[in-house]
Amino acid sequence: MRYIFNFPDIGEGLEEGIILEWYVTKGQTIKAGQALVNMETDKVVTDIPSPKNGMIIEIFGNIGETIHVGSPLVEIETEESVVVKTEIAEKEVLEEGAAVMGTMELSGNNAALPSSDEGSLKIRPEAALATKALATPLARAMARELKIDINNIAGTGPSGRVTKEDIQNYNIPSQSNKIVERNESILQEGLTDLTTFEPLSQIRKAIAKNMLNSKQNTAHMTLFEEVEISELMRIREKFKQKSTDRDIKLTYLPFIVKATVQALKQYRSLNSQMDLEHDRMIYKNRYNIAIAVDTPEGLVVPVIRDADKLSIWQIALAIKELSDKARNRKLTLDDMKEGTFTLTNYGSIGGIFATPVINYPQAGILGIGRIIKKPVIKEDMIIVGNVLPLSLSVDHRIVDGGDASRFINLIVEYLSDPVLLIME
Amino acid sequence: MIFKTFNPLEDKTLRIIDNDGKIINKELFPDLDNETVIKAYKSMLYARTADEMAISYQRQGRMYTYPPNMGQEAIHIASGLIMRENDWLVPAFRELGAMLAKGVSMKEIFIYYMGNEQGSNFKQANHVLPICVPIGSQFLHATGIGYSINYQKKDEVVFSFIGDGGTSEGDFSEALNFAGVWKVPVIYIIQNNQYAISVPVQNQTKSINLAVKAVAFGLPGIKVDGNDFFAMYVACKEAFEHARAGEGAVLIEALTYRKGAHTTSDDPTKYRTKEEEQEWDKTDPLIRMKRYIDNEGIWNEDEEKLIENYKQEIDKQFTEAENITPYQLEDVFEYMYDEMPDILRKQKAEYKQFQSWKEKRI
Amino acid sequence: MSVMTIVQAINNALDIKLGEDKTIVVYGEDAGKEGGVFRVTEGLQRKYGVERVFDSPLAESAIVGTGLGMALSGLRPIVELQFDGFTYPAFNQIISNVSRMHNRSRGMYKVPLVIRFPYGGGINALEHHSESPEALYAHIPGIKVVIPSTPHDAKGLLISAIESNDPVIFMEPKRIYRAIKQEVSEEKFSIPIGKAKVLTEGTNVTVVAFGAMIRECQKAIAMANQAGISVELIDLRTIYPIDKETIAESIKKTGRIIIVAEAPESFGVGAELMAIANEEAFLYLEAPPKRVMGFDTIVPMAKGEPFYLITPERIFYEIERTVKF
Repeated sequence: MRYIFNFPDIGEGLEEGIILEWYVTKGQTIKAGQALVNMETDKVVTDIPSPKNGMIIEIFGNIGETIHVGSPLVEIETEESVVVKTEIAEKEVLEEGAAVMGTMELSGNNAALPSSDEGSLKIRPEAALATKALATPLARAMARELKIDINNIAGTGPSGRVTKEDIQNYNIPSQSNKIVERNESILQEGLTDLTTFEPLSQIRKAIAKNMLNSKQNTAHMTLFEEVEISELMRIREKFKQKSTDRDIKLTYLPFIVKATVQALKQYRSLNSQMDLEHDRMIYKNRYNIAIAVDTPEGLVVPVIRDADKLSIWQIALAIKELSDKARNRKLTLDDMKEGTFTLTNYGSIGGIFATPVINYPQAGILGIGRIIKKPVIKEDMIIVGNVLPLSLSVDHRIVDGGDASRFINLIVEYLSDPVLLIME
Repeated sequence: MIFKTFNPLEDKTLRIIDNDGKIINKELFPDLDNETVIKAYKSMLYARTADEMAISYQRQGRMYTYPPNMGQEAIHIASGLIMRENDWLVPAFRELGAMLAKGVSMKEIFIYYMGNEQGSNFKQANHVLPICVPIGSQFLHATGIGYSINYQKKDEVVFSFIGDGGTSEGDFSEALNFAGVWKVPVIYIIQNNQYAISVPVQNQTKSINLAVKAVAFGLPGIKVDGNDFFAMYVACKEAFEHARAGEGAVLIEALTYRKGAHTTSDDPTKYRTKEEEQEWDKTDPLIRMKRYIDNEGIWNEDEEKLIENYKQEIDKQFTEAENITPYQLEDVFEYMYDEMPDILRKQKAEYKQFQSWKEKRI
Repeated sequence: MSVMTIVQAINNALDIKLGEDKTIVVYGEDAGKEGGVFRVTEGLQRKYGVERVFDSPLAESAIVGTGLGMALSGLRPIVELQFDGFTYPAFNQIISNVSRMHNRSRGMYKVPLVIRFPYGGGINALEHHSESPEALYAHIPGIKVVIPSTPHDAKGLLISAIESNDPVIFMEPKRIYRAIKQEVSEEKFSIPIGKAKVLTEGTNVTVVAFGAMIRECQKAIAMANQAGISVELIDLRTIYPIDKETIAESIKKTGRIIIVAEAPESFGVGAELMAIANEEAFLYLEAPPKRVMGFDTIVPMAKGEPFYLITPERIFYEIERTVKF
């Protein structure tokens, strides 16, 4: 095993040494404890011994050269296969420093502190004292228990002190206070006929954090569109049996994923992220479509990676796999990361339109409602249409209205006439 | 008897072999068989090797500040040879060879100098006190143990060590004074290695030597060539017999030289010359004993190979020391009292709360 | 102006005073020829001679005892004890004689003696080299205890200590002996003993510390600032006599106080400041005063020291707890 032996801090407070003489050469076999080199330091001229048996592979530094503590001296090929610790503890780099006992820390090349002076800082308590109440610890404890900010109470005791009486008197509430107090006291007393308490699960906490974060850091704007998907339904029906043969349950979602990916390729602002810290846009070159999945514990959003490289069937399989994993709580971190755009399908549960919340820091999210039979106009005639409602939320900081409309229109186009997807 | 012949007031020094390993005092030459002499030499060699390796480990950044013993091995091994299982060793901090002789392991020494008090919890060695950092204070402890031995009528002797610098501390004088009054079975050995960090012994006291200080307290004192194994052995043996016979304490001044620095963080070039070091090198205890052994032709082992074996064995112990259970929070509190008071328990609990906060927060 | 470490600043203060006042002598173990094991007195023997800057034999009680004798008879000695843990042999001289001579002689004898020693942990040393005994000395009536935290303060406070006619224990934070460099005037200047200094202004909580802990507190305050907490930092600088006024004014402003010190918690500087908080600012307290100090244990050896030493994280932890009270 190759081992680089650095110029050790030998506890004399050395920072550097000058090489006076090398006792070994490249290729030489050496033993632990054998002197490798003679170094001159600020305090002593001393030999540095090898910590290991082995062969010298490399020597660092020429005679007369200055070597800093911690810099390599030699590289040794040892017989060991295990790394052996050769230092005792992490210490700051030590320079020269006589001590006769102990290891001294030295200031090194750090800049010197500026000169001190006396009395330039005053305590200046006036500002603070103006807003603070004087009170004994007992009074403070009382106020705290009653959940009153003691600094709001006028003090009538000695030195303007807030006394127990002051606090008790303050506690006579006005009407609104009473209601607030009553509500709060209900919450606090935990009367079981009015309330039950449950601690927050990790998932719930995470969802809450993410939702709030998304809403606070983006400018949500939602567009609504309807797509007549009779053609899509026909295609799906056509390939249903072939899909089942391959053990694949074919829903509309894989088509929607495909359509979305194609649209993202044309409108890259929907597949991006705004990096305000560095004043730049980050455009994603991959199409990792996240699919929101409803589980008993809450919403999770696993990712279909590189959806542009997958076929409809492959996407269908990926969706099934991720949903199963989600419901069995077997999703890994890898399954969840690096999504670039999200789809959320609440139609199966029953919604029509919605204002979905963006999966921050993505730029957009497409909500899919339930397909309804509705009268539609085709070639100036009223027919029964199958209408799929779409709700697209975008981050208006990144995506202008024009692009958002064009994006969703393109998806509508693909879903109206799915054969377009194989043309692209 | 030798205490009278080598009267410290006359500044006499007990020496048995010279720098070339030749016997210069046949009369006092001890009755030791060759095997024992060779074993003693090997122990000195082991101690010297361990010392050099310790300095090397410190230089590699694997151990903290360490006080080398180099040059003082004869004192340690000679006294160590005489110490029995139940005799006491009350060290200062430069008695590696004696501690090893008493059964302290290099592993324990390494654990200590790696910054863990666990190293002073000697698993095998009996009646050895931990090294004593407050200079000279250990002599009073030795005196107390001596009193206890007399009181309990035990057959035990105390060997305690101090440096030339330590003899200036009040505790040194107080300890010897009490030793005289109480007639304790204690051998007080001054390792006069010529330096207290940077201060030479000439500036430590204007007394003609250190052994003579015994006279003030009514104790026998003797100055010995500390780098002469045989002389040290003889002095310690007579002192041991003296103590064991109920005759009381003895002060031995062992002349030696601190070949290395005070600690690995000390630079002797700041206060002594290479010439001086080279002069004293001529009296090196290992060289002299080796010369004696060679002159007698009683040993033909491969010394190089022996040292190699020692190095491997010591390195193994060092590795074990590096791999002991790491220092726990419990260790900080556990040993303060026999029965831990509540306040300490509370402090430990509060710190644990901080630790959990830190894990989540930082 | 010159960039100095604490070691250099102290050396500079000694140099200036030795130069202008012939009654000043400096001594201690290894303090003469070698310039002290930390080199604080480096070069001074060469410059002022072996009668004025010298090595003493190894005897702390004697170092302080003889220092007292010199101080009573016309000299102004500055004695050095090598490490905090080795001052104890001198404790009897300090408490029984040094601190009492002025009172005992009804002012006939003054004791212009300075006792200097490095103190504090964090250097991976053996036992007796990491102690923080300021409370032991501060509790002795008749002496003053001073602890600087920067090179500038070290120089100014030492010069005041030397020029004072009272015995002063001058404790030097060895952990930061060379860790801080600062622009310090080469001129003579002094900083009054008994005056704390507000280093940072703040509104939510007051943190009081000294010596090497100031730097740790500053790191903790950076963490606290990130968390939206405004901290006022006070450097005590003198342990005895303590600057009650500055501390009280600050507590009145913030309502909360945290004391940070290395020494064992019980019966230490923390307890003293908590008493002052109660005495001087009782009605202004919005949270219990808190001391962040060492355990009531011996300072552990290197491997255990990380548990013992106060870190910025620990200080921040207590700042948060106090502010959230």
